[in-house]
Amino acid sequence: MKTFTSDIYKFSRSSKIALALTSVFAAAGFTWPFFASDMESARFAQYFFWVAMPLAFALLLTQLSDRSLDAKSVALLGMLAALLAALRPLGAGAIGIEPMWFLLILAARVFGSAFGFLLGALGMLASALFTGGVGPWLTYQIFAAGVIGLLAGAFAKDLRGWREQIYLLLIAIVCALGYGLLMNLQFWPWALGTNTQLSFIPGGDIQINLRRFISFHFLSSMAWDIPRAILTSVLVVTTGPAVLAALRRTKKRAAFLTPIEFSERLS
Amino acid sequence: MINFSRVSLVYPTSTKTILEDLSFEIAEGEMVLVIGSTGTGKSSLLRLINGLVPHHTGGILAGDITVGGVSTQLVRPGELAHLVGIVGQNPAQGFVTDIVEEELAFGMEALNIAPDVMRKRVEEILDLLALAHLRNRAISTLSGGEQQRVAIGSALVMNPKVLVLDEPTSALDPIAAEEVLSILHRLVHDLSLTVVIAEHRLERVIGFADRIIHIAGDGSAEINLPEEILKRSEIAPPIVHLARALGLSDVGLSVREVRRMTEEIRASGKDIPREVGQLGEIAIRTNKLSLTYGEKKALNEVSTQIHSGEIVALMGRNGAGKSSLLTTLVGINKLSSGSSEINGIKSVDLKGQVRRETVGFIPQEPSDLLYGQSVQGECQQADRDNQSAPGSTFALLKRIVPSINPETHPRDLSEGQRLALALAIVISAQPKVLILDEPTRGLDYQSKALLISLLKNFAKELNRSVLIATHDVELVAELCDRVIFLAEGEVVADGPTLDILLSSPAFAPQVAKVMSPRPWLTVSDVMRAVAE
Repeated sequence: MKTFTSDIYKFSRSSKIALALTSVFAAAGFTWPFFASDMESARFAQYFFWVAMPLAFALLLTQLSDRSLDAKSVALLGMLAALLAALRPLGAGAIGIEPMWFLLILAARVFGSAFGFLLGALGMLASALFTGGVGPWLTYQIFAAGVIGLLAGAFAKDLRGWREQIYLLLIAIVCALGYGLLMNLQFWPWALGTNTQLSFIPGGDIQINLRRFISFHFLSSMAWDIPRAILTSVLVVTTGPAVLAALRRTKKRAAFLTPIEFSERLS
Repeated sequence: MINFSRVSLVYPTSTKTILEDLSFEIAEGEMVLVIGSTGTGKSSLLRLINGLVPHHTGGILAGDITVGGVSTQLVRPGELAHLVGIVGQNPAQGFVTDIVEEELAFGMEALNIAPDVMRKRVEEILDLLALAHLRNRAISTLSGGEQQRVAIGSALVMNPKVLVLDEPTSALDPIAAEEVLSILHRLVHDLSLTVVIAEHRLERVIGFADRIIHIAGDGSAEINLPEEILKRSEIAPPIVHLARALGLSDVGLSVREVRRMTEEIRASGKDIPREVGQLGEIAIRTNKLSLTYGEKKALNEVSTQIHSGEIVALMGRNGAGKSSLLTTLVGINKLSSGSSEINGIKSVDLKGQVRRETVGFIPQEPSDLLYGQSVQGECQQADRDNQSAPGSTFALLKRIVPSINPETHPRDLSEGQRLALALAIVISAQPKVLILDEPTRGLDYQSKALLISLLKNFAKELNRSVLIATHDVELVAELCDRVIFLAEGEVVADGPTLDILLSSPAFAPQVAKVMSPRPWLTVSDVMRAVAE
């Protein structure tokens, strides 16, 4: 009889389908302002997604944590999510200084993208409960953090040394800026009222709305996304080698997917 | 209760057979002691009992293990949780919650036990382990012995039939160890609990064990009565070594037995002349040194001198101020009044390069000194810091522990290897004074003997001084010239080892208890007295 110790968390087939469906739904939740035909439907879309996103996400989470999460994965996930939650408010959240992203990126890199998705989502959820930052924006934040974890763990798994450092630096910048973009996207339609030059025009032309959004994004993100990207990159570069070594050692010590064999005699 | 039938174990990453063809049976209500040097597979054997090996670690397991009739092959470790309780070496690492009561309830919550049953069981355990007065305390504020009792309690609360303990007393002082062991003894006798326990300090546990499993290190193991095993085993408490050295026909396991056998030797042995060593120049000098933490007085007017070439032990209860004195000497604490200096340099002025060359300090947890990613890295760093030839620290380390692997992460080393690494790094700076805080925690007899010879060489050949804070009276008897006894931050006794250790029965080493009233502390003392 030959078996293996439990693997680190991986998506099952049904999880992948659930994730794909939720992603499509979330994409709609982020981009509806460009497609809403008038004020009426824009308002409807806003309230609809405020309610529907958390529900869809709760469904996804129950599906993801249904099976195949064994004790070791749960312990790792719990500890790292708690660390993320503790790290996030360290920078007081002002001007995007949230020192949690580097750890999410590094952990996802070591433990893979499925684990990274769960970690990002749970870490964001825990930190929101921790800091009282609960609101309609929370599901968007959770989903964005999950996607960052997913991406950070997905590519170029064999890179090591300085190449890995450069790759991680790129990921850090892309993730920090991308997160800001997504957050602005869900924030923009109701942030400015209706009559500024950058406001969302319900039912307006996609190109005009897009241009307005991009100007809004660059004006506001100067103060938020760039510090976030700088902080994350600096932390990834300075702490990267040590944190990666510690996490990789943890992974090795936890003996994921090691063969177990039971036999009558030792041959 | 526990049945091993032709069990062999190999880990997937190595070719070494940890255990080979091991068969034994442990009956209900038995207390079995597992002995063996570090790294021979004691912990693996313990973890086989509840299935953590190989279900969580991987590996090839041949043969069959059943606990209470359940084969560990067929069920996951979680499904044995109600049958086997396991307690680790360092209880603090296993705690999940902050408060004693919550910690006790945690395991039952995971097993989904009804709240009213939980309440009742928590009360029972609080009474059984005499923890009732601590129920609302934060675990971090408890003493080592109390923490270990809470850890045992949180395993017992699930009503297991078997309790497995991995070195439960190695981090404890003698009094706390006694406390834990007497509780275990009671559990075995009153509740007929089956206990399997691995331990290095045999002099503490040998009196309680019904049988011993001795793991040899080449995969073979033997299970037998304590008397039989100890007749031949290399690993033995001092009184057994004494009985062997004297050529007695039987080995006694208690002081009382050996005393009866050695009446004649006590009467006929000659007095051994005292060695009066030359005192070197003063290396450490404190004058009315006081230290307060907030309201609490940690040290009160401590005045003492330590000469070069001297090995001095600092003894006393937990919280008597031993560690405070050591850290003050090396300049980590700011003293409140008085003065302390090493080699004429004030402690507070010790910084950087000067500190490294003047004093080497190894704290209670040697890994506090180790930040590198590998043994090799640590040694290279030490070479650079001391501007010594590359590889010299590693060469020193190799002399202490020849089997060490340079690629290992410092935190993956065994307790003894980690201490050796810290020692090598500190000694490579050639400090004038060496200060160690509790260096023998978790060390087996071999590593301890090695430590003793290393420190003796360092002090006597290089004429440097060594100061050790310790609970280990056997170490003091073998190694130290002088003992300073602290209580409540004050020096209550200071004098030659012989006088101090013999003056109180609680601190006398085993050999001295056997040979009292003759002033012989160690086996070699006795042999010299008999020979002359």
